[in-house]
Amino acid sequence: MPDLPAPTRRTFLKQAGSGLGYLAMAGLATEAAAASSILSSDSKGQGPHFRPRAKRVIRLFMQGGPSHVDTFDYKPELIANGGKAGGFAQEGFGRVRKNDKLLAPLWKFRQRGDSGLWISDLYPNLARMADDLCLLNGMHTDVAAHPQATIMAHTGSITFVRPSVGAWVLYGLGAENENLPGFVTINPLNRLGGAQNYGSAFLPASYQATKISNNKIANLANANLTTAEQRKQLDLVREMNEEMMQRAGGDAGVEGVINSFELAFRMQDSVPDVLDIATEPESVKQMYGIGNRATTRFGTQCLMARRLAEAGVRYIELTHNGWDQHKGLQAKLSSNALATDQPIAGLIADLKQRGLLDETLIVWGGEFGRTPVQQSAAGDGRRHNHRGYTSWMCGGGVRGGMRHGATDPMGFAAVEGKVHIHDLHATILHLLGLDHEKLTYRYSGRDFRLTDVHGNVVKEILA
Amino acid sequence: MFEVIVIAAAFAAPQGVEKIEFFEKKIRPILANRCYGCHSANAKKLKGGLLLDTHEGWANGGDSGEVIVPGDPDGSLLIQAVRRVHDKIQMPPKKPLPDAEVEALVKWVKMGAPDPRMRQAMGRKSKKIDVAAGREFWAFQPPRPEPVPPVKDAAWPRTDVDRFVRARQEQAGLEPNVDADRHTLIRRATIDLIGLPPTRKEVGAFVADDSPDAFAKVLDRLLASPQFGERWARHWLDIVRYAESTGRTRNFPYPVAWRYRDYVIDAFNADKPYDVFIREQLAGDLMPPSTDRDVQNARKIATGFLAIGTKDLNERNRQQYLMDQADDQIDVTGRAVMALTISCARCHDHKFDPIPTRDYYALAGIFRSSDLLDGYANRSRGNNNYAKGDRYHRLDLNKAQMPKPRVTAAPARPRKPRPKAAQRLKKIREELQQLAAERKRNRGKRAVQLRIRKRTNQLRREQKKLSGAGNRRRGGRQPLTGNEAMGVRDGAKPADMAVCIRGDITQKGERVPRGFLSVIPDAEHTHIAADTSGRLQLARWLTNADHPLTARVMVNRIWHHLFGCGLVRTVDNFGKAGERPSHPELLDYLALHFITDGWSIKKTIRAIMLSRTYQVASKKDAEKFTTDPDNRLLWRMSPRRLEAEVIRDAMLAVGGHLDLVPPKGSPVMGIPAGEMGRRGPVGKGFAATKRSIYLPIVRNFVPGMLGVFDFAEPSTITGRRDVTTVATQALFMMNSAFVIEQARHASERLLASNAQGAEERGDIAYRLALGRPATNSERQRVVSYVRDFMTSKPEKDAWASVFQAIFASAEFRYVR
Repeated sequence: MPDLPAPTRRTFLKQAGSGLGYLAMAGLATEAAAASSILSSDSKGQGPHFRPRAKRVIRLFMQGGPSHVDTFDYKPELIANGGKAGGFAQEGFGRVRKNDKLLAPLWKFRQRGDSGLWISDLYPNLARMADDLCLLNGMHTDVAAHPQATIMAHTGSITFVRPSVGAWVLYGLGAENENLPGFVTINPLNRLGGAQNYGSAFLPASYQATKISNNKIANLANANLTTAEQRKQLDLVREMNEEMMQRAGGDAGVEGVINSFELAFRMQDSVPDVLDIATEPESVKQMYGIGNRATTRFGTQCLMARRLAEAGVRYIELTHNGWDQHKGLQAKLSSNALATDQPIAGLIADLKQRGLLDETLIVWGGEFGRTPVQQSAAGDGRRHNHRGYTSWMCGGGVRGGMRHGATDPMGFAAVEGKVHIHDLHATILHLLGLDHEKLTYRYSGRDFRLTDVHGNVVKEILA
Repeated sequence: MFEVIVIAAAFAAPQGVEKIEFFEKKIRPILANRCYGCHSANAKKLKGGLLLDTHEGWANGGDSGEVIVPGDPDGSLLIQAVRRVHDKIQMPPKKPLPDAEVEALVKWVKMGAPDPRMRQAMGRKSKKIDVAAGREFWAFQPPRPEPVPPVKDAAWPRTDVDRFVRARQEQAGLEPNVDADRHTLIRRATIDLIGLPPTRKEVGAFVADDSPDAFAKVLDRLLASPQFGERWARHWLDIVRYAESTGRTRNFPYPVAWRYRDYVIDAFNADKPYDVFIREQLAGDLMPPSTDRDVQNARKIATGFLAIGTKDLNERNRQQYLMDQADDQIDVTGRAVMALTISCARCHDHKFDPIPTRDYYALAGIFRSSDLLDGYANRSRGNNNYAKGDRYHRLDLNKAQMPKPRVTAAPARPRKPRPKAAQRLKKIREELQQLAAERKRNRGKRAVQLRIRKRTNQLRREQKKLSGAGNRRRGGRQPLTGNEAMGVRDGAKPADMAVCIRGDITQKGERVPRGFLSVIPDAEHTHIAADTSGRLQLARWLTNADHPLTARVMVNRIWHHLFGCGLVRTVDNFGKAGERPSHPELLDYLALHFITDGWSIKKTIRAIMLSRTYQVASKKDAEKFTTDPDNRLLWRMSPRRLEAEVIRDAMLAVGGHLDLVPPKGSPVMGIPAGEMGRRGPVGKGFAATKRSIYLPIVRNFVPGMLGVFDFAEPSTITGRRDVTTVATQALFMMNSAFVIEQARHASERLLASNAQGAEERGDIAYRLALGRPATNSERQRVVSYVRDFMTSKPEKDAWASVFQAIFASAEFRYVR
């Protein structure tokens, strides 16, 4: 990036709000470090590349591999054949043996809504939103191990350390609201890739997620100074910087620093407000199941997600742990579903009533699914399964009441309308108006992209 | 291209008319309908590197090699693919060809595959790499001794470096800035060399020193300081992706990676010749043995360079795991030492640089012939990531050199003891205490001692079991003894490697003898003996004085750290996709002097810093700025943002709480073996007042402050850090407990000094934090701020607030 003439605060803010906001900011600060050319992979024209259908994403990551055949993938043949040997040959089915017994879904499936989508009794609330859901029954990924599949689901690569989807989105579109971070992750994993799952890898650090843990963002409040005192302190800093800029002959680097403080000062004000759900009416809290023991925790996070979405955060991820049912499927899957069903249904309904669902894309899913056969004769458990599983999308430019793709009759492997995790990534970008083949960043002598050399947009599901 | 057509036409002649007719009627439609979609010049995306729209296209073959053997259908990959005999290569990928079409193709190949399509495909060049032509590229030409150019403005230059720079400026009609003032210059030099602000005393001495060699004296003092190594080692650690854990899927600690960190610090402090530095890191274990124990140890530790990369411990396929390791080693060797992206050639010939896939596997053979010593193995069934056998270098150390490793096999999950067990544990502890006392009382009584020992052991076993400390289900590694180092050593059976077609380990191609990059001549005609990996030979080839890249890349890195921007700005990429040098002659001049100066990093730094070019002011001049906004002609010193470490260390130093004594080891030694993150925070609170280079660098748990200020992501090779200015940095400076605490310390220090009155204190505050006196207006501003603040709060809070404001200011965070 060639050096920029010292921008005024106004042009700065304008840039900050536009797609290249953070880059522009980075550019300002590096005038000196001169070499900003690599920060911007210029001429590549970051997006949007075409008219976006969604402005932002809420990703609901169910870590562990939720069982699709017990939830969103209706398999009548599996229901009919429970207890019989699965007959899956060993080759290509990992640890599954020929004689492993099929485990019929432990919950009853029913057709829901006008669309008649099949959803099991685990999700009574979500089932009522069936006509808004787009089930992707033909999902598949590369590896049936949590760490690889989790990293794959977030960065599209197992082999190398790459930026996460959210970082790419922010790089492509910039922040919608310059008073807030553009990419937020709530209670992320600290293992299975940990920060790599929301990191920026070779993209500038400004694209990594801001972490909210225990409902807080770090360094957002000063323990010693009142707001008035801090304002005076910042005025002192600004005067120092302005004098410095005079001496240095007008230096954009300094202007960048000045602006970052003004932005930070506003963030201190706006972020706690956004995260503070106390002001929400009781009726809204109830929609999310806040107040009930089982649902308060995730409900709070979902409500926070709505508030962040409303305030214009580009990419919001929520993580719910513990979907790895090698045994105790009955008990644990019930409690997981219970903890998340009403909060998610509440989120969809709430976005809808505010007219935000059309522009907000919700993506639900784990890193893979589970086998139709049971893990062992002893208990109700299922193994990992990367060959077929289910994710669903909702809102922002996706058709509702739709089921796309299918697994084989028993629910083992995706056979129709297959959607690889690369395809899911390509589709998310597409809905945001980004062409996954054009959204590139130059690093180590070549242009990288989220989907590497893969990825097809799932056109069938576009509204 | 014209030649190609002529030759091809000559070949075309003998093909019979009937055969051509057969092609046109039967074969061309098949190829056009079924294959061109992916295998022609007009393909949206060319697949497998194979063109089927010209004779030349298929004659050249694709990534998998030859595809059509005229006359031999069974031996032709194309026929095998349409017959779908392989699992992986089945064409067309989706729907098999009708039998009739397969038969037609077989018949065509049998008749010799006549093909009249002679015109070379438009828009796509023949993809075979021409290494000889590639050698013409500037970076593969050896550095040439260039005469120092004449300069009209003869009074300006002080050194030859200046003459190269000034000559270019004169061509462009550009005048350099005036010299920087002394306060600015000593702060610049001190931060560049040791990563700390100068003390008041140092500033005072330099400002008062009228001797002509005043600045040289400053440089010599700084270069001799042990803080120099701590500053410059960090630059190297960025490049070699230094970290203390495996990262990625299962993030396990590297409890002894810190030995490599300390090795690098020592090397920079001792001004270890750069060629030796490189040789040790690639092959220290193979160098002729030294009688000096420390030298021997250092050489083993140095090979940690090849061991500290990321690992996918959850990768179950051992071959894949080993191949990924070799790739990491090739990547770091290629980019750190030669600024070449060799890894690109893993799956196909390099797209830009003359590096064929063969070269990649020649290098891979070298690395695969070495065993990795990092304590871990990939996870396979029934294996818990702990390598069998001794997977470390063993060092010859005395006790003082072995910081107590607190790491032991840890419980899988720290279980809370059940109430009953807790009671029992309490009883055991009590009894153990009694036994200890009893043992003291009964010294010398063998029978009693024996009974006590027996009972003690029994109790300890029970204690272990109850507390869960003996559970080694996950933490099955032997406790460290303290003499371990990471690294590599030659494997039992060194061997050449076969090319993995398209990088796929199951698709083996031709075997390639171990060797180096063919584009760079091997002056010594190296022979790699069958019983050695070839690492030592690789190291020698890299550090040969004729190597066109090694010296250039390093002097360019030095330049980058002193000017904020290299002569080649893409410091990690000297290939075609990288940038060209702004001053090629100067780069060569520096590289050649680097070598003749015994590869001395300190001498090179000193020579550059003594140039007038380094010493000019940074002030922006509107007119010059218009001519050369990026400052490629070095008319000024570019202002540079301080790195995260320098900002942190400088705040600690101003507060007077920086502890310059290096710590022994690393907190990562104390992290229980096993996956991190399952066990809570990592290395919190450690090294709180030590220099930042000693903070624990655990992948995915980078210390907060470093992350906020663009620390080099430790899983990637980073010769040049990003510089961003974002609100999270401002929030950190405004609100973090760390900054507030350092500001408070600085305030206490100020109030304890003999400065009297607000005016004088204001002046001292500026001298402490910024290394210069405050101007009148600055003093007045601070004084009125403090007075206002003191209407509600005590004076020490007021000054703490001033210091925090200075820390937050651009002047503190930039060097100019």
